[in-house]
Amino acid sequence: MATSMPIASLGQLERELAYYRRECNDLGSRLLRLQEEQSQAFREARRSRTVAKLIREAYRLADQGSTVEQIGAPMLEIIVENALCDGAALLKQEPGEEGTLFRITHTLGPTAAGPVRVPSPPEFFFTTSRSSIEPPTYELTSILRMPYVLWAFDRSTGNALILGNQSESNVSRPFEAGDQELIEGALSVYIDVLLRKRAEMELRAAKAVAERASEARARFLATLTHELRTPLNAIIGFSEMMVPESRYVLTTQDQLQYSAHILDAGRHLLELIDGILDYSSLEQALPLLSSEWLPAGKLLADTSNIVGGMARHREVLVQVRLPDQPMEVYVDPLRFRQVLQNLLGNAVKFAPAGSIVEVGLDRGADGRGIFTVRDSGIGMRPEDIPRALEPFQQIDSSLARVTGGAGLGLPIAKGLAEAHGGCLLIESALGAGTTVRVTLPPERVRIRPMG
Amino acid sequence: MITVGYAKHSDPKVAVKRCAAALGGGRPQMLLAFCGGKLDAHAVLGQLREEFGDVPVFGGSAAGAIGRDGFGYSGFELGLVAFNDPDVAPQAVVTRALLADEQAAGHDLGCAVREVAAKGAVVLLLFDSVVSASPPRLHHASSIVRGFHAGIGDKAVCLLGGGLLTDMNLSGGWVFDGEGVLKHAAIALVFPPTVAVDTVIMHGCRPVSAFMEITRIDGAEVYELDGRPALEVIEKMLGLPLGGTRGQELSLVATLGQKQGDPFGPYDENAYVNRLILRADPATGSVSLFEPDFERGARVQIMSRDNSLMLESVRRGIAVANRDIIGPDSLLALYIDCAGRGSARSGAPIEEAELMLRGVASGVPFIGFYSGVEIAPFADEPSRPLDWTGVLAVLRRLR
Repeated sequence: MATSMPIASLGQLERELAYYRRECNDLGSRLLRLQEEQSQAFREARRSRTVAKLIREAYRLADQGSTVEQIGAPMLEIIVENALCDGAALLKQEPGEEGTLFRITHTLGPTAAGPVRVPSPPEFFFTTSRSSIEPPTYELTSILRMPYVLWAFDRSTGNALILGNQSESNVSRPFEAGDQELIEGALSVYIDVLLRKRAEMELRAAKAVAERASEARARFLATLTHELRTPLNAIIGFSEMMVPESRYVLTTQDQLQYSAHILDAGRHLLELIDGILDYSSLEQALPLLSSEWLPAGKLLADTSNIVGGMARHREVLVQVRLPDQPMEVYVDPLRFRQVLQNLLGNAVKFAPAGSIVEVGLDRGADGRGIFTVRDSGIGMRPEDIPRALEPFQQIDSSLARVTGGAGLGLPIAKGLAEAHGGCLLIESALGAGTTVRVTLPPERVRIRPMG
Repeated sequence: MITVGYAKHSDPKVAVKRCAAALGGGRPQMLLAFCGGKLDAHAVLGQLREEFGDVPVFGGSAAGAIGRDGFGYSGFELGLVAFNDPDVAPQAVVTRALLADEQAAGHDLGCAVREVAAKGAVVLLLFDSVVSASPPRLHHASSIVRGFHAGIGDKAVCLLGGGLLTDMNLSGGWVFDGEGVLKHAAIALVFPPTVAVDTVIMHGCRPVSAFMEITRIDGAEVYELDGRPALEVIEKMLGLPLGGTRGQELSLVATLGQKQGDPFGPYDENAYVNRLILRADPATGSVSLFEPDFERGARVQIMSRDNSLMLESVRRGIAVANRDIIGPDSLLALYIDCAGRGSARSGAPIEEAELMLRGVASGVPFIGFYSGVEIAPFADEPSRPLDWTGVLAVLRRLR
């Protein structure tokens, strides 16, 4: 049967096929390239979203109550996940060493052991397969032990961030100059959050200090009222009985006794007011210390003499133990005497009659000077020691009535010891006496120079 | 009962603890773990023992993991499957001899599975995908699977599985073999006859060239297409010079696909076996495929990864799974997802894993991992390795 369409020749069909093949390949090629361009654009967009994601996550972390130290690791996770790198680390420049030493604070993946030295650390750097092995390439690639790294360093805060890849291609394309925005952005976010977190911690600490101060002030006022009223009541009460128009008929003996009570109460008031003034002027006095080298032996002997009267009265022997070699301490004469006087006064006050109170100075192995005041008095429970260092916190108030004092001696001594760069530590056990040690830093202690 | 847990954390202890909390306590018969490559494998194993005691742990590294609560490929992900019911817990068979000879190791594994498997049993094969990172060399799934089929002989089983990677850059891989952490090992988890599996395979590649004939090939190394250097042909298609390190980027761009069945039939995504390109060698003009299972004379096409097609395929696959597969007897939905499909590699604007974890019916425990290669029954033939696919395998209890 004849067909209405002409039969194409084989040659024509082959040409037609070749045309379609060519067109198919050409269109396919264009499609492939478009597809790849689109994919690449998306991959870059994803990478560039790192900083935005980091900002969102970092502030969430900061608000969740993580500490400064806890923020680094999750931030590195976010960076690694978005930048799709093999490892990352946060570093902190160490002081000294001309700023070339860096400590690794946080890391994901293996890192160099210990601090790393980066001479003339650059603010931005990256390595590729074309990088030559010369500073700082060698030093930076050794941090993560990876050949391809991206580095940013913030000179003002000393923080640095490094990302690393084992291979240059595949998912992780080679690092390039355009990555400066990513790495510096990521480092900036970290530093911002770090500073914010640090400020928040400082604020919290300051708030806690303020709250403690406020509590102390309230306690101070309550105790003050009580402490002032007791001797004042005694003074007024006995004075009323002694005035000429009094309805009381007093014998001479009574009058002598009441006068003595009034005198005692007045002296107690004076002691109390002196203590309050000392304590309240402590903060202002601290920066004004006027230190000089003093012979330690004389310092101990003078203080011992000051409490000598009270010790004799209470039948307590004060023993001064001098160091083997004549020593000098660099202290404010007035203020440091007050430290020893308060401690020695307390020891004598709480020591039983017939006992010995010992005061001495030793030199620690590290050169520090250690003043020790030891008594064999009533002592206190270890858990009460922190309270004893707070103002107006006499552990046993009934005893306070007997022994007197406003409970300010130890807090004042502690504040002054710290003002000298030292510290005050108490060891005590109930019924076994108390040992107080005031330690001065090595630079404030020396062997007395000859001549 | 099978329970699953997913967590992402750089501290292995935290990751394990979070997964353990999701598993809901108890002492399982066996644990299957997919562990992100940046987590310390030994630390994870130690913490698993801390949490679960002396329970055997199988599985290994994963370029990422996918759970109901999230997914990722940062290397800090951990996916855990706990087999609590002895009636559905698999029996493990291990080979540690992949380095010596993949096909022989696969054969040994097949023989060992033959001894313990019931006819038609479900077998989950997991293996270390990476021989070495530099130069990049893979343990070929096709060799292992060929050996496995030879070893198992006429005792047909339903084989599925995946290659284990530590990351998307093919830097490494390792296996939990029930005792410790191993390189160059493969495990086969043989399920009891009470368990069956249904799979849905999701693709995403489309041919962008006419058919070409492989005129010279040696193993996975394709030297010539239509008589011309393979690299030159592909470079021309891409319009950019490759070679050197950039050769590896080919795996981000194109694949070679072999159409099954009628070559001139209409396009059907299920008709293609795709092979990713591992690297290019400018010196020989060749490209190296992920698998050495194409032969001289095979007609192949250059395939473009089509992201919209991939997402479409996932949506379609989820619908099929929810409609035809997932039901009251479903025990576990396991998603074996080619690592290249993650947006960071594919450049897809939507993560297909996210579609999957949101889309799969909520009644069934779901876990997934990013793999180097996927193994599944394909085109009504014995299971074979696939590239650039997502395989959703739903285990169900047989009544």
